[in-house]
Amino acid sequence: MTADATLAQLKRLNDAYQMFRIFTADQTAGDAKFLFSAKDNLTSQEYETCCGSRILEGYRPIFDATAIARLKTAGGKLIGKTNMDEFGFGTFSVNSAFGVPKNPFDRERSCGGSSGGSACAATVLEDHISLGVSTGGSVCCPASFCGIYGLVPTYGRISRYGLIDYGNSLDKIGLLARDPVKLGQYLPVIAGKDPHDPTSGIQPELKLRHRPIRSIAVPKEAMKGISPTVAKAFENGLQILQSIGIDVERVDMPMLGYAIPAYYVLATAEASTNLARYCGMRYGHQDGDYTQGFDAYFSSIRTQYFGDEAKRRILLGTYTRMEGFRDRYYAKALQVRMDVIDAYKAAFQNHDAVLTPTMPFVSPKFTDIAKMTPVESYAADYLTVPPNLAGTPHLNCPCGYDADGMPVGMQFVTDHWHEDELITMAEQWDKLFDVRIPEVKA
Amino acid sequence: MDRETVAKVARTAHLMLSEEELDRYSRDLGDILEYFKSLDEAPAHAGIGVNPVEVADILREDIPYQEFNADELLKDMKTYENYIRGPKLS
Repeated sequence: MTADATLAQLKRLNDAYQMFRIFTADQTAGDAKFLFSAKDNLTSQEYETCCGSRILEGYRPIFDATAIARLKTAGGKLIGKTNMDEFGFGTFSVNSAFGVPKNPFDRERSCGGSSGGSACAATVLEDHISLGVSTGGSVCCPASFCGIYGLVPTYGRISRYGLIDYGNSLDKIGLLARDPVKLGQYLPVIAGKDPHDPTSGIQPELKLRHRPIRSIAVPKEAMKGISPTVAKAFENGLQILQSIGIDVERVDMPMLGYAIPAYYVLATAEASTNLARYCGMRYGHQDGDYTQGFDAYFSSIRTQYFGDEAKRRILLGTYTRMEGFRDRYYAKALQVRMDVIDAYKAAFQNHDAVLTPTMPFVSPKFTDIAKMTPVESYAADYLTVPPNLAGTPHLNCPCGYDADGMPVGMQFVTDHWHEDELITMAEQWDKLFDVRIPEVKA
Repeated sequence: MDRETVAKVARTAHLMLSEEELDRYSRDLGDILEYFKSLDEAPAHAGIGVNPVEVADILREDIPYQEFNADELLKDMKTYENYIRGPKLS
C-alpha cells in the first residue's frame, strides 16, 4: 500500500480503532519518504500535545521533540499523535481522556498501555513506524497485546527533549513496528547525543554489527503467575530458540520480585512532582476564576481536569515523599533499583540476554479490565517493570497465539547499550516464527 | 490509609476530593501501601540509584543565544501588556 493510500483511509481506520488523538487531513504524502506516528506525550509543532489528559487540552508546543525532529529530517511525515493513558498512567490505555484504542485482533479488547495507540497504528497501518514511550512497560506491553515488535533502548540512548515527563529517571522513547527491520533502520536515526538532554550525553556510540544472542537466562521467578496459554507459547518460543543453537538456562533472580513496589514508589514520586507544573497558567486549560487566590485557583483547575488514575498516582507519590515516610519508601526503592541492576549484571556475566514472557496474560476484554482493582492492574506489569527500572534495553517479539487468536509476546533484555543484539534477534526471529497480521475491519 | 491522611495529602497536592473520592482513595491507597510492604523485606544496598545509568554533568559553551521567540512562548498564555496573568496572590 502506498503512503497516499494509507492517508486516504486514515479517518476510516481511526473511526474503527481509535488509535489517534489527532491526525493529518492531508491526502498526499508529498515528498515524504515514509510515514510515522508518535505518542501524544512527545511535543510536535503541527499538532496539539495533550498526554491523554484534559488538563493539557489546547496546548500547542512551539518545538518538536528531538526524536520527531530527527525523523522529519530523515524524510518522515508525522501523520498523527496517538491515544495513550493519561500521562502514561496505565497498562491498558483505558485511562485516556480522548479515546481508547481498540485491539486490531479483537476490538472488544485492549491494545495494552500506555502506548496503546502507537501499537495499534503500527499494527493496522502498513509500512508504518510509531514512536512510543516506556516508563514501566508502556512499549513492550502494547507490542505484546497487538502482536508486533517493540524496542525500548537503554535509558539515555534517545534524547528525552520534548518528551513530557512522567518519571524522569525511567522515561524512554521506543519504537513499534510490524516489520523488525524498521527497528534497526530508525533507531540510529533518533538515537545519539543531544545538547538539549544531558542524560543522552554519556552514551557510547550505537553500532549495529548484527551480533547474535547465543545464550539466554530464563528467571524461574518470571514463570510464576502467568496464564497457561502464555506459558505454552513461551515454552514453544524457547524450543525454537534452542533449535537454532541458543543455550537456555533457568536461573534464580529473586530481586525481580521487589521491582514492582520499587517502581511504583519511584514513578509516582517523580510524577507527583512533574505534574505540579499543571496548574492552569502555562499549559492547556486556563479557564479558572482568577479572583480566587493562588491555592484555590490551582486546586480548582487540577481537580477539574486531572483524571481518576492521575489523581491516585499524584496522591501516592506525594505521600511517599512526605517527611516520615521518605526513607521507608523512596530511599528504599532507590536501593532496590541498584539491587535489580546488580541482578541483571550478574546474569549478563554468563548470558547475552534475559528472557521472560512480556505479559502474564493475553489482552483482556474491556469488560474484565473494568473489574480490576488498582493493585491488580499494577501487578500485571511485573514482567515489564524490571528492565525499565534498571534502564536496560528490551524487546518484545510475538511468540504465539491463544485459542481466540490473541497474541502472546516474549521479552528479551540485554545489558546497557546492547541494542544491537536485540535488533539482530528481532530480524532473526521474524524468519523463524510466523507472525500473524490481523484482518483490518474499517 | 485513613481519610484524614488522604485529605492532608490531597491538600498538599492541590487536589480537592469529594466525600466519595476520600473513601475510594483511602481504600485504594491502603491496598497499594499494603502491597508495597514487601519493600521492607528487600535487601538493603550500599548505593542508591537516582538514575539507572551513570549520568555526568555535561555543560555547553557559555555563549548567549535565544532559541525561542518570546512572543511565541506567550501565545498560549493569558497576558496583559506582555505580563503573564494569574490568580491574585491572596
